[in-house]
Amino acid sequence: MSFEIFISQFFGGLSVAMLLFLVASGLTLIFGVAKVFNFAHGSFYMIGAYFSYQAIALFDNFWIGALAAALGAGLVGMLLEICFIRRIAGREEEGAFQILLTYAFILILDDAVKFIWGPAYKTISKPESLAGSMDFGAVTIPTYNMFIIVLGLVIVVSAWYVLSRTKTGKIIQAASTDTQMVGMLGVNVSLVMSLVFGVATAMGGLAGAMAAPLRTIAPGTGVEVIIDSLIVVVIGGLGNFWGALFAALLIGEVNAFGILWMPQWASLLSFAVMIVVLIFKPKGLFSREKGRKKI
Amino acid sequence: MKRKTVSILAVLLVSLTSVASFAAETIKIGALYPMSGRGGLYGQDSEAAIKIALAEVNAKGLPGGRKLEAIVTDDQSKPALAVTLAKRYITEDKVKFLYGVVSSGAALAVTEVSKEYKTIFVGSDHAATDLTANAFQKYYFRVSNNTYQSMAAGAMYMQETKMGGKIAYIGPDYAYGRDQIAELKYSLGKLGVKYEMVGEFWPKLYEPDYTSYITAIIKAKPDVLVSGFWGGDTVAFIKQAKAYGLFDKMKYFHPDGGGNYEVFSTLGAECPEGLIMSARHHNNWPDTKENKDFVQKFHKATGRYPSYAAEGAYAGILVIAEAIRKVGNADDTEALIKAMEGMKIKLPEDPAGFTSYIDPKTHQIVQAQAIGVTVKNDKFPPAKYALGKMKVYAADKIMATEEYIDILTKSKKK
Repeated sequence: MSFEIFISQFFGGLSVAMLLFLVASGLTLIFGVAKVFNFAHGSFYMIGAYFSYQAIALFDNFWIGALAAALGAGLVGMLLEICFIRRIAGREEEGAFQILLTYAFILILDDAVKFIWGPAYKTISKPESLAGSMDFGAVTIPTYNMFIIVLGLVIVVSAWYVLSRTKTGKIIQAASTDTQMVGMLGVNVSLVMSLVFGVATAMGGLAGAMAAPLRTIAPGTGVEVIIDSLIVVVIGGLGNFWGALFAALLIGEVNAFGILWMPQWASLLSFAVMIVVLIFKPKGLFSREKGRKKI
Repeated sequence: MKRKTVSILAVLLVSLTSVASFAAETIKIGALYPMSGRGGLYGQDSEAAIKIALAEVNAKGLPGGRKLEAIVTDDQSKPALAVTLAKRYITEDKVKFLYGVVSSGAALAVTEVSKEYKTIFVGSDHAATDLTANAFQKYYFRVSNNTYQSMAAGAMYMQETKMGGKIAYIGPDYAYGRDQIAELKYSLGKLGVKYEMVGEFWPKLYEPDYTSYITAIIKAKPDVLVSGFWGGDTVAFIKQAKAYGLFDKMKYFHPDGGGNYEVFSTLGAECPEGLIMSARHHNNWPDTKENKDFVQKFHKATGRYPSYAAEGAYAGILVIAEAIRKVGNADDTEALIKAMEGMKIKLPEDPAGFTSYIDPKTHQIVQAQAIGVTVKNDKFPPAKYALGKMKVYAADKIMATEEYIDILTKSKKK
């Protein structure tokens, strides 16, 4: 394999991985802090894409679209947390209720977007400034894919800063370890939960807006991204933020080179990686078998 | 007071009997379509087309003054659900015909119900060749082309335009994607077209990101990329591949569903020029009165232009009505089958001078297939492109041969 081909596949895999991480990180954050498995997380990706589509139709500006996606999805996320998810927290049947409730969100949000925007596929154009491609010798990388990679890195660094260098971040880390204790120390735990939910769903919405120029948006799009995100979260360790990053990169690159070397088996590779990881590390790569959980 | 009660009773009685007699005059069709999720567009377009066709045939009249009526239910493209709904249609709603179905998987399940209950099933959309080949049963009819027909026409196009050399294929990793390339290879072999396969790529259906596939395809350096994508997947692939300059490096050939209207309406101005594609129905071709009328009626009813699925859904209702007219009633199933076998029917997608007909042996509709290239055309907004420079392939030349049906039967039994 020549160096050009390696670089080309590597960067392709990286841009796939970053979009995957944007969705999976929110999913894992919600699980880590609120102990909720948000089955509907992909639906926030979907409504983010629709919000961005709508904002662009109104204001003809890609960045306003991105902002509308993050804010809109985050608000809907917080609203659903406050109105519904909070009500089942701590109940005996919580586990089953979480699945039923978040699954219901998928169906409701799918029908809501169909009702508002119709069943036809939607897509948005890339912003002018990112529409071209960059040539590095024999390697072509679309500018937009490069932008996705950079954006992903910016989010990783900001998340690291917030989680480990700010008070809010420390509260979130503490809440994921022992919610009750944090509450006793005078922290408004339910506010923290709502905020985490809002930030996580906003990241999902942003991912949808960022993916929309590359993909098609339709009712049901959410379900298509949730499976891959789930694989990422499981490999990285449920609730582990850095695990999700590592796993997204792993899946992105394994797929990129798998497609090159054994295209017949490409669609199995993510699952194969997950199975191997689960055999050796049943709680995910970044889990600590005992002791405190770190997000 | 008493008189009032009597009169109310009388009114009630009259209305009840009128409902009863109305019910007796209605011939029910039980339609199954995906109405939600990715496939929802095709279900909704089909439903709109069915309504247009029903209005036409009921206005023209049916024997005994009876009316055709269709019930549409969301089958979510799931075989098990489709079977349950089909059985309920037959046993509870007493439908005379099963109808529709977008997913070939669901259709293969429904055709078994049709066989078991001896109820005619008119397929309007699904394309798996199996239904009119190895999985054929006499109560099944299909009113749109199958993938064999598209790929046979595709092979002829490749021969005619001297497209060959190195070929790569990308298509969804399930029956629809797998069948297309097998059928193309078979037809190319029959025509003696020389080619070399340099790669086959199998993303899953609804794969959101094709980036890694695109770089791998470019690396394989094919002369022609044959594509078997469907619907929104075509749009996503084209958008992603365009930024990599894939369309400057090779020909893009997508003879079954690439030229679907929803691909053009979604891509808008982003559609590359010169892609070679086809579809089971085109809004801009043929330029016949039937097609123009159909497209305009659809636009008037829904405010949008139809995807390919609508024409099939429209066609089947006309076929059913014609069969009932020939037989004189909708109760003699065997006579209806006889009436539909070999039936000639003028449809929107028939070019001038050609009339679609139903092959009596396989119950597959026999239609011409036109393949064209993407050119600027903004007559059907929001699309900015459509297919032009059409090459038309004669209907009888692209039917699945008996030899192929044999091969299919043997290979699927394994």
